[in-house]
Amino acid sequence: MAYNFSVDFDPAKPDLTDDTEIQNEVFLQAFNTGDGAVFDSLYREDSISNFSGEPLTGADRLTFFKEFLSAKPSLHAAVTHSYVAGDVALVGVEYSIDTTGPDGEPVHLEGVCTDVLRRGDDGRWLMAIDRPVASSGLVAD
Amino acid sequence: MSQLIESLEKHTDLYVEAFNAGDFDALDAFYTEEAVAVWEPGKPLTGEARREYQRAFLASKPKITAKQRQRFVTGDTALLIVDWVIDTVDEQGEPERLEGIGVDVLRLGEDGIWRYAVDDPYGQKD
Repeated sequence: MAYNFSVDFDPAKPDLTDDTEIQNEVFLQAFNTGDGAVFDSLYREDSISNFSGEPLTGADRLTFFKEFLSAKPSLHAAVTHSYVAGDVALVGVEYSIDTTGPDGEPVHLEGVCTDVLRRGDDGRWLMAIDRPVASSGLVAD
Repeated sequence: MSQLIESLEKHTDLYVEAFNAGDFDALDAFYTEEAVAVWEPGKPLTGEARREYQRAFLASKPKITAKQRQRFVTGDTALLIVDWVIDTVDEQGEPERLEGIGVDVLRLGEDGIWRYAVDDPYGQKD
């Protein structure tokens, strides 16, 4: 399925780029497609996501993203700091997620997230590790 | 001196050892060439500026203790969350205690050694 991104995004060659604001936009828009496979394509096979509260990689991570995004949660995030050291970057964001609980009730999650990005040999930047720390609603503690 | 860092598990302990020995060259070997360090919040340093800051900091013989709180390791990139305390002296020579929760990104070199790419000692607020 094709999605409309307001930034350049090639689903066949996902790239968070080396630009902090574009990184944030690609991440947000991929999340907000509600398609777990699209969002998961921003991660490498061995990348670790802690969104579930547990460190997940590979197929387990994809399964979780599909389930988590199926409720069509809405993610907002603003970058607080970004440090680039060659082919690796540390990015801090403040995020909030509005989603729906199992009984259809509204659920609000927010906190800060530490993201580690890596530039691969082909020049594309992808997620290596995410680590949300929730201040309201539990994503990960 | 080239300090070998074979294991990420021991990385923090080896770093503490080099730090407490006041050995700048040993300590510098724990960083990638392009490493970014943020010892003063909001002021990332790299290259020669990073080295100068650290050399000056070690000159007053500070002592550090550090404990890994969390560790996330992929094939060639890792994130460590570290509780640390440094006892040093301030500009007047009075004892000063610094502490924080460090957010550290490490890269595995082609030589099999983990090195800091980003050293953000105050990276987590609490």
